[in-house]
Amino acid sequence: MLRKRIIFTLIYSDGFFMQSRNFRLQKVGNLNWLEKNYKFQSIAFSLDELIVINATKTVKSISEFASTVSKLVNDVFIPIAAGGGIRSFEDAELLFNSGADKIVLNTALVESPELIKLLVKQYGSQSIVASIDYKKGNDDFEVFINDGTEKIDMTLPEYLKYIESLEVGEIYLNSIDKDGTGFGYDFETIKNLQDDINLPLIIAGGAGNENHLIDGLYLNNVSAVATANLFNFIGDGLPNAREKIIETGLNIANWNAVT
Amino acid sequence: MKIVIVDYGMGNIRSIVSTLNYLKVEDVVLSSDFDVLKSADKLILPGVGSFGKAISQIKEKKIDVYLDEIVVANKKPLLGICLGMQLLGVSSTEDGFNEGLGYINGYVEKFDNTVVKVPHVGFNQVKVNNDLKMYNGFGETPADFYFTHSYRMKSDSDINQCFCHYQDDFVASFEYDNIVGAQFHPELSQTNGLRLLKNFIEKF
Repeated sequence: MLRKRIIFTLIYSDGFFMQSRNFRLQKVGNLNWLEKNYKFQSIAFSLDELIVINATKTVKSISEFASTVSKLVNDVFIPIAAGGGIRSFEDAELLFNSGADKIVLNTALVESPELIKLLVKQYGSQSIVASIDYKKGNDDFEVFINDGTEKIDMTLPEYLKYIESLEVGEIYLNSIDKDGTGFGYDFETIKNLQDDINLPLIIAGGAGNENHLIDGLYLNNVSAVATANLFNFIGDGLPNAREKIIETGLNIANWNAVT
Repeated sequence: MKIVIVDYGMGNIRSIVSTLNYLKVEDVVLSSDFDVLKSADKLILPGVGSFGKAISQIKEKKIDVYLDEIVVANKKPLLGICLGMQLLGVSSTEDGFNEGLGYINGYVEKFDNTVVKVPHVGFNQVKVNNDLKMYNGFGETPADFYFTHSYRMKSDSDINQCFCHYQDDFVASFEYDNIVGAQFHPELSQTNGLRLLKNFIEKF
């Protein structure tokens, strides 16, 4: 049976890893800090995937970001998706060549559908993750691009249809309202929308402990749960969470079958 | 130990290289040159991207001719991963209809997105056969491997295939003499993947 996934998302900005709350970024530490406090080489054994997002609010340097990604991937034998600021084929190519197994696209989905088509053709749908940042508006759900600063004309349900037409491989659905709160996922919205989503769905925004991850994994149409909460899962947080999730009997991969 | 990763200009090979380095393979080379391919102890055919484009680049670089001699005639061990495995089959319906290398009897078709979500992505269980060299040391129970693909292989021949279930049973791996294929990514499959790659290095 296809397993569900637990994903950790690292938010990167200008040389540092950040804690994001409603898209306001707080500096936590650099790569050394991360290695000391998270030890991805060992923690990766409790994760299904790692996503790294460049959320630098000023000019995003793809080359600097790619070099950070290439340092992160050493001895980490899980899929890594990277994105943030991809505006050209060359940007994407650089990230793939730096060790990304998939790329994450957001603003370019709206601004350059032709680029998306080109990337799908070259790298295949399965290499492309569409990241969607949304917020509850007065009447409907609003979608934002450019790090949550620019609202687009389509509502969330309309946008989801549009995204599927681009033939991307997965959807990373991130609630700006819940982002970094640690209050749990936006279950109401996810429950309402999930049956209309025909692609593998990763939910993000709000997970603060393993119970939130568990609640997310119980949703039928959710393929993966993501958390970017650097504070709440520090140290052994992730291995402990996975252990607890396995104890609940949820359908996630188990690598200890090999003796 | 020298492993040459066949370079036909496609695919993220960095994770494969880093995994082989971790497994202490002294010499890992990326090449499409006949003499270099011939000098390898083992070959890996990687692949991310579309079948049509891959096979046309393979033919353009004459890699098909080289592999005919090195792998088919001279029996050098070859591991095809993901698209690299599919390319070893007879044909694929990706990008229209394309013929593969035809080393094993396998046909590649798309999953039906009215039945299951496409792509098939994440860890899934493979009904491993631990009598095979590639699964040496695995237990009796199915093992989790990481998949990410929209097309899958079917075969009506005995190619020592092991199955994974998604929509229906498809070929997750095969071990046909010196030619080994994995639809999943061992280099992204944690301890199970490391074990399989170690077997490919040591048992073939």
